[in-house]
Amino acid sequence: MPTSSTVDLKLASEGAAKHEKAIGIWRDSFNRLLKNKMAVVSMVVVLILFFFAIFGPYLTPYDFLKQDLSIRSLPPSVEHWLGTDYLGRDVLSRVIYGARTATLVSLLVVVLSSLIGVIVGSISGYFGGKVDFFLMWFTDLNMAFPNLVLGVVLSVSLRPPLSRWMEQMYLSSLNPVFRQSSLLDLALVVAVIVLVAWCPYARLLRSQVMAVRNYNYVLAARALGLPTFTIVTKYIIPNAIGPVIVQMSAGMGSAMLTESALSFLGIGINPPIPSWGNMINEGLRQWTSAPHLLAAPALVLGLMTVAFSFLGDGLNDALNPRQWKG
Amino acid sequence: MFRFILFRLLRWLPGVIVLLLIIYALMFYGGGDPIQIMFSREATDLFQPGNPRYEALKEKLGLNRPFLVQFGDYVWKAFQGDLGLSLSDGRPVSASIGAALPITVSIALAATAIIAIVGIPLGVIAALNQNHWPDNLILSSALFFWGIPTFVMAPLLMVLLCLQFPILPVPHGWSGVFTLNAIIPLSVAAIRPMALVIRQARSAVLDVLSEDYIRTARAKGLPEWVTITKHALRPVLTPVVTQMGVVMTNLLAGSLLLEIVFGIPGIGRLIRDGILNSDYSLLLGCTLVVLALVTLTNLLVDITYPILDPRLRQAQRGEE
Repeated sequence: MPTSSTVDLKLASEGAAKHEKAIGIWRDSFNRLLKNKMAVVSMVVVLILFFFAIFGPYLTPYDFLKQDLSIRSLPPSVEHWLGTDYLGRDVLSRVIYGARTATLVSLLVVVLSSLIGVIVGSISGYFGGKVDFFLMWFTDLNMAFPNLVLGVVLSVSLRPPLSRWMEQMYLSSLNPVFRQSSLLDLALVVAVIVLVAWCPYARLLRSQVMAVRNYNYVLAARALGLPTFTIVTKYIIPNAIGPVIVQMSAGMGSAMLTESALSFLGIGINPPIPSWGNMINEGLRQWTSAPHLLAAPALVLGLMTVAFSFLGDGLNDALNPRQWKG
Repeated sequence: MFRFILFRLLRWLPGVIVLLLIIYALMFYGGGDPIQIMFSREATDLFQPGNPRYEALKEKLGLNRPFLVQFGDYVWKAFQGDLGLSLSDGRPVSASIGAALPITVSIALAATAIIAIVGIPLGVIAALNQNHWPDNLILSSALFFWGIPTFVMAPLLMVLLCLQFPILPVPHGWSGVFTLNAIIPLSVAAIRPMALVIRQARSAVLDVLSEDYIRTARAKGLPEWVTITKHALRPVLTPVVTQMGVVMTNLLAGSLLLEIVFGIPGIGRLIRDGILNSDYSLLLGCTLVVLALVTLTNLLVDITYPILDPRLRQAQRGEE
């Protein structure tokens, strides 16, 4: 039986080796990512999106809400680069503000769903047994059915209780924040997408944890009598998190897609707050007379989801080089 | 074989019922009072809680019963083809679904056929040219089209092919799979999930090509095309078929959005109507139908792949 100090020493040297190797892996992966041209282009596109999401309101030529009924549904011109919509609002300003909506929703979704996924996945992977069986059965079920249909059901049935709750909060606090329907939309859309999107993270982390939990250093930590919580959070999760980062990039794209699909159906972000989805829906009403109303948000949304899909693929190749390039 | 199917059914059925229970509970507790939704157009106090007519109607519709009794009743009737009455127009939900379902299913089946006919050869071509330009081209265009949402692709194609270069009639409504109107909807439906099949077929071919028996076939001097068509292609089908469940989920989700864009009177349109009118019984019925379609596909996949792969027939016998 080794004394605790020798184990510490062994742990420390193992940890140091691991650390050095980890830097090597990350730098190596980053170099591989830079070699993938599509991934680099996608990264630039995503950075431009973030730029517009943060600074958009200072860059828009007009207020995205300002209506001018004398200039309804105009084609693109020098004053209005992308034309105006059916209420005479500037389409370019609305598309730029839509970047903010899309980014806000998808960032919140990715953070929350990966958090839930990491918690559920590590519980499932570390403890195994019945808990694991039940959780995996449930995630299998969730992943087998169309996210969009589950999202529709959730958002239609969660809206009335949530709006009742917000009304009560308003009455008890008189804080006007609770009267804003845009806040209700945002909270609802994020909650709905998180509820359908956490499962892939959980599965991913579970398989990682199952691989990591039998490593010697975890065994050593257990032998030292560390509490389970410390073992999981300090030794297992950091070593199992890599693929989750890849999934986050793909997840960001699909969250953006689901948000705009729900908004397109009229149960996500509602007008007048612009979302690319509800702009496509509005554009569809007069697509023969003013196709630019449809084309502008559709092209931008398509560009973004394609960029995230190429970026996710590039990250996947860079971090798991053996996987699908054969 | 019968016992095997039963076994597989038992694997899927509890999950579907639990999922349905969750959805039913969400609508039951979150959705709002069905009677008030039914009569929301008539501005009257007659159908408010406390009014005798309201209470009588509630009694008649069985809405006084406990939650689980109502759920059990719903499932029992659903098995007999009765999905209740629509809250917005009072028509039986099963009648609306009966009219819409064939359209959605025919879109899904036609798209599946396109996916199989185009996707599998593309995957094979990609694998045979591994890491050369045909491979790169096929893989990146698959990834590209996988990235574009259905409701982005559909209107853009519509603007491009009906407005900018008017070579196709404006697709609106539905008059069958083999009409000009169906070209744009079907290709949009097929192109996104096709990426899944292409990837799967490609990696399956790559796996097979490294097998010993392919080396043997090549070593005994068979022409390359005989080696490929006779020995390499058959095992490729199995992994592609197992992918069909995922393809079907994506097809259905895509077809819902597609139907709204093109005004096709399928399940997607019904779901949209249900959303617009807060018609919970219609929504519940449509969700149930989508769940049933996905389950059926997965069941068919489970049944088909032992037929395609003899190695799995052994495993199946072991399971019985």
